[in-house]
Amino acid sequence: MARETIVEDNIDVLVVGGGLGGSGAAWEARYWGQDKKIVVAEKANIDRSGAVAQGLYAINCYMGTRWGENNPEDHVRYARIDLMGLVREDLLFDMARHVDSTVHQFEEWGLPIMRNPNTGTYLREGRWQIMIHGESYKPIVAEAAKKSADAVFNRICVTHLLMDDAKDNRVAGAVGFNVRTGNYHVFKSKTVIVAAGGASNIFKPRSVGEGAGRVWYAPWSSGSAYGLMINAGAKMTQMENRIVLARFKDGYGPVGAYFLHLKTYTQNGLGEEYESKWFPALQKMVGKEYLDPELSHRTHRPIPTCLRNHAIISEVNAGRGPIHMVTMHAFQDPHLEEVGWENFLGMTVGQAVLWAATDVDPKNENPELTTSEPYVMGSHATGAGGWASGPEDVSPPEYFWGYNRMMTIEGLFGAGDAVGGTPHAFSSGSFTEGRLAAKAACKYIDDGKAEGIRINEKQITDRKEEIYKPLDHYKIYRNEIVAGTVSPSYINPKHGLDRLQKLMDEYCGGVTVSYMTNEKLLNIGLKKLKVMEEDLEKLGAKDLHELLRAWELKHRHRTAECVTQHTLFRKETRWPGYYYRGDAMKLDDENWHVLTVSRRDPETGEYTMEKAPCYHLVGDEEKAAKKKPAVRKKVTAKRVPAE
Amino acid sequence: MFTTNHFAELSAVISPGIMQTFVVIMIFLVIGGTLFDVIHKRSATYFFNAGDKARKNATREVTGGEKISVVAKTTASEILTSSEFCNPKRRIAHLLGMYGFIAYLIATLVMVFGYPTDVQGTPALWPFLWAVGALSVCVGGYWFWFFIRVDVAAEGNSVFRVVKADLFILSLVLSCTFALIWAFLQSAGNPLSGLFLVFYLITSIVLFGGVPWSKFAHMFFKPAAAIQKKLSVADGSLDNLPRPADRTNPEDSDRHSMELLKDAPLNMGLGIKREQPNHY
Amino acid sequence: MPTFVYMTRCDGCGHCVDICPSDIMHIDPTHRRAYNIEPDMCWECYSCVKACPQNAIDARGYADFAPLGHSVRVRREEEKGTISWKIKFRDGTEKNFLSPITTKPWGSAYPELKNEPAPTGDMRDSQNLYSEPKFIRHDDGELHTLESNNLEMKLGVYY
Repeated sequence: MARETIVEDNIDVLVVGGGLGGSGAAWEARYWGQDKKIVVAEKANIDRSGAVAQGLYAINCYMGTRWGENNPEDHVRYARIDLMGLVREDLLFDMARHVDSTVHQFEEWGLPIMRNPNTGTYLREGRWQIMIHGESYKPIVAEAAKKSADAVFNRICVTHLLMDDAKDNRVAGAVGFNVRTGNYHVFKSKTVIVAAGGASNIFKPRSVGEGAGRVWYAPWSSGSAYGLMINAGAKMTQMENRIVLARFKDGYGPVGAYFLHLKTYTQNGLGEEYESKWFPALQKMVGKEYLDPELSHRTHRPIPTCLRNHAIISEVNAGRGPIHMVTMHAFQDPHLEEVGWENFLGMTVGQAVLWAATDVDPKNENPELTTSEPYVMGSHATGAGGWASGPEDVSPPEYFWGYNRMMTIEGLFGAGDAVGGTPHAFSSGSFTEGRLAAKAACKYIDDGKAEGIRINEKQITDRKEEIYKPLDHYKIYRNEIVAGTVSPSYINPKHGLDRLQKLMDEYCGGVTVSYMTNEKLLNIGLKKLKVMEEDLEKLGAKDLHELLRAWELKHRHRTAECVTQHTLFRKETRWPGYYYRGDAMKLDDENWHVLTVSRRDPETGEYTMEKAPCYHLVGDEEKAAKKKPAVRKKVTAKRVPAE
Repeated sequence: MFTTNHFAELSAVISPGIMQTFVVIMIFLVIGGTLFDVIHKRSATYFFNAGDKARKNATREVTGGEKISVVAKTTASEILTSSEFCNPKRRIAHLLGMYGFIAYLIATLVMVFGYPTDVQGTPALWPFLWAVGALSVCVGGYWFWFFIRVDVAAEGNSVFRVVKADLFILSLVLSCTFALIWAFLQSAGNPLSGLFLVFYLITSIVLFGGVPWSKFAHMFFKPAAAIQKKLSVADGSLDNLPRPADRTNPEDSDRHSMELLKDAPLNMGLGIKREQPNHY
Repeated sequence: MPTFVYMTRCDGCGHCVDICPSDIMHIDPTHRRAYNIEPDMCWECYSCVKACPQNAIDARGYADFAPLGHSVRVRREEEKGTISWKIKFRDGTEKNFLSPITTKPWGSAYPELKNEPAPTGDMRDSQNLYSEPKFIRHDDGELHTLESNNLEMKLGVYY
């Protein structure tokens, strides 16, 4: 294996990760930087990479302002209530006001978007979702990125960001290795847009063997968006806000189209409606403001995703499982049956395989649902990610520092899972965020902010040594043992992943403890993560594939550590059904109606935690709600600690 | 080199009987190795069982006559032309290797058994076929080895990494290379020819003797698999694959899901597949 | 259902190695044919299954919860712009599906952004992205702002 050093110099916009966010960034950057050098580094093949590699059957974020369906602020309200009040509403509003133009572009490019035969509008699955035949969603979107970029480097696992040695806290590019050739790649760039993925496989999965591959979020989503940024010293936000999904059991097939379009519903093992009976107690935990079934019944206001999970978890723990999705009615209609199956084939083939294997035909039998292990990401019903600047015309001063979607490191931008506080962006929103970041990155360069970047040779050679260490370590200490995988001197990446998943599960609120944790457990977890970090220095990789897994593990580990720090910091149970702080089982708006922000010092590894104010987008609807006699008026703005 | 029966020349040093015995041993090694492969690994049993299973899956009966026609057609259109290769370069390299080897093999047999000592009487065709065949194997083989081999082309491995799968191709091209060098040196009267004869024999023994461990057996099971594949089309089982779509057929085009393709061009060209599989 | 490769169908072309998002389809050193090296990192996304020109790749349900004896096979035909599926249950029930995968010839409908009229300084300073505001609503309306939608960003607790 060569380990040649290959330097790509004078890049203006480096896009790390070629999923939906990265493709959007590469595409848009060409317009605002027609003479700029735009490069994409992708760890797989951009035609099938990222969370959309398999395809999608719906675009879950589309306003439909063109047909007067929704306004951007409506989507902000939806995301706000779904995430129990805590989102970055400036970023969300910004994404929502642009997202429709993204979707219209997709249709131009050839993405088959279904139409409502009566109205001619896009066929709605739900208020925000439109239905597509999206088997080739990713190749169609990747084509745009390939067209715009000067070069797409496929099979490059980016391991670190490069920092400017001339000016503190300014990004200077990224490094990584080629998973095929083993060469060392150095990308020197004026700006970097991190569009890498969130994290699956951080918590122990419910499956015990092969089925571990059937995670809800793609197994190649290795938390690199977070690993890269945290290690560089970027501030992170809402990392405690992991997500648990209620999905078809084992196959984790999506339920959106089933609930919204096919009008299926759930019931417990006895065939009863169960959700509402958990609501009174739940209302005591979170307050009527966040759970108002009556209001939800009357209006579009959703019951937050986490609270619906809570009902499932509680019902199963009460011994009345399993929870079933009642499909037998809907599936009698052959057209709806076709939609139900094509929905899986378009995005979760594994669920179709599982039903075929177990002879579950939803026409004749109601399939089981379950709640998944937790995932850490920022574009579904959850908003973990980097602390990013918002747009100038929307963001309050605390949320604005010069360039839209720029992180707290100069020249470092984010999109998709990388940006915190922006749930419900999904595929189209992530692409849109990439576009926003790309425009801002070009402006940053045009404003002369990237002048005089210097990268010392030492930084480059040090990183190179660090990157290949697992290969070298293995080679040397393999001599110690006869055969097999048990060595006193190294662990392989799979061993490390097992350990990470087990400890996150047990100490940070995974599935085997019914998503429960507390301060004591979290502190133990942190201690174990610290010790594990020492072992990560002794990872052994026998080939380039394992080296890839080794670096994915390191990114996952860093993500997990940050999640645990945030979970420890937030002393309340904000999202029952995602996780519970047993020592603070109530939602506490008085102290915690804030966004949590962390920074890990790259030198010391110490975390600094702070509370950032949570601004809301206030219009007539909010004002009217405020005028009603307050049930529990507790908090005023002044009492929220502003940083 | 292209006109001389080198085996007859060699008979001055090594008796034709020994040469003929060597060739017979090689033939037995191949037969023995293949039988060993089939029996030891039970590959034949698998093929029969798989055939049974496929028949149960059939949607229509395939008559004996049809079967013969399928076998004939597959032989003509696929096995003899290597048309199953999707990569045209690979197909050409494979054809060069396959036909080169067949020519080289037949010429060897004819010369060793038909004209063991008769340098003058050997029709010019055979030495020519022998040398051209070996050359063709080398062209196809080295082209494959250095440029087309998937572990190099798609995996990015070094050209010089040798694994077990290389036993067949390496022993094949080396034996043909050494054969040519030996023949050339012999024509030139170079005393080193003896050395290359030894190399030639050793690599030939590896090639024919290595059957159970190399991919040599694919020469036998590849055609069988090709025929099975075509039979599954004939009997409608299609190996459980969906049948190809037909957008001109109302049964397909009138499907609810196909609404969006009603007015779309019938040929969309190539998407992912228009690029070579070497994105790294 | 991790993927697996039929020995007699694979010809070692490398398309699956090239496309796999998880880097788990690799070439076996004994037969120079492809196989799945890490089934528990296989999302059964079918990228390799669809890419295989020989239909040599199939999937078998994950061993920890899926019994044997089923089949979900696919034919992705780029020229036709279609994807066909055939599902076979363990009990023999069959289901067939057919969907479009593109509405336009591949790669034919993308503007060349390099050749678009260069954006002006005003456009750079505005909040609009490429093709905006036109492409948002297909009318002459401007981009939504706090002012246009009568909104403010306020501290406090709002639900």
